[in-house]
Amino acid sequence: MTNCENMRESMGRWLDGELSPSESAAVQAHVATCAGCAEARRQLESLQRALTGVLVADAAPIEFIPFWREVQRRINSKRPWYEDISQWAREVFTAPRVAWGVPVVIVVLLAVFSLDSYFPGNPFGGGRNSFASVESIDAHGRSVALLRENESKTTVIWLYQNEEGENETGEDRSQAGPTF
Amino acid sequence: MKLAKIAPRLALLFSLSLVAQQDFTGAAEKNPQSVQVTIRSILAENKNDEFDAKLKGMEQQLKSLKYRSYRSLKDDTKSVPWQGTQSFDIPGGRILTVAPQEFQDNRVSLKVRLTQGDTPVVDTTVKIPNKGNFILGGPPHEGGVLVLSISAAAQ
Repeated sequence: MTNCENMRESMGRWLDGELSPSESAAVQAHVATCAGCAEARRQLESLQRALTGVLVADAAPIEFIPFWREVQRRINSKRPWYEDISQWAREVFTAPRVAWGVPVVIVVLLAVFSLDSYFPGNPFGGGRNSFASVESIDAHGRSVALLRENESKTTVIWLYQNEEGENETGEDRSQAGPTF
Repeated sequence: MKLAKIAPRLALLFSLSLVAQQDFTGAAEKNPQSVQVTIRSILAENKNDEFDAKLKGMEQQLKSLKYRSYRSLKDDTKSVPWQGTQSFDIPGGRILTVAPQEFQDNRVSLKVRLTQGDTPVVDTTVKIPNKGNFILGGPPHEGGVLVLSISAAAQ
């Protein structure tokens, strides 16, 4: 980096009065002897003047007193209830997207588990309530079998004939026996 | 981009509405007035491979019993009040008595008694998923076996 480049880098801060006295003296001495840097200084000064002029011209018309009076009035005035609710709703419904993740997952899982009520036997319901459950059974001395068939989700109570036989037609008893 | 922004909110609202509906239907289920009980009497045999077209909806359930033929003998549907009792005539001079006990978790609890004449054949208490069924089978009938499909729907 040449001496001129170093000086031009420091020139802005020099014009703003931000350099130390020794740095300021060095820049000033260089600008006095270097035509290029003197030209750069003139350009920077004219840019600074133009910006200052614009800012001053625009800032002047702003009326701060009525502005602050209105702010004060709004702070002191009581808001209606519906504005409070709408404010609350805005805050809740405009939360960061990540914050939605957990409740959405929980509620979707709840919804999936409740699908069984709407669509019994759906593949996501886990088949919790698909089977009939036998709480008690008394076959009055007969043999009885309880079968649960997974594919069709069927509960079967099967009564076997007793020793005396109940076959009304007297046919081969093997026909009356279950063949699960 | 807009859709991606509102998608999580839509998903949340949809899920909330599902849960709310679940609550409402759950509340409705708590006090059903009666139970519609349907008894299907079926004759299962090994004589031929005939499958009664009326039993089409039960094909998968019946096939698990491994008989060769199934014939529908009788269908009977009655509305039974809670804690009430209703009797169904079953082929072969049998009577099936059904008494709904309670309705909980979308399941109907039924007390069922099968008798032949004055002789009790079986007494059982079964909890059936609402609008579901169970099979009671085994009593011999006309050279085959009698298979009863007992279904219940809370109303």
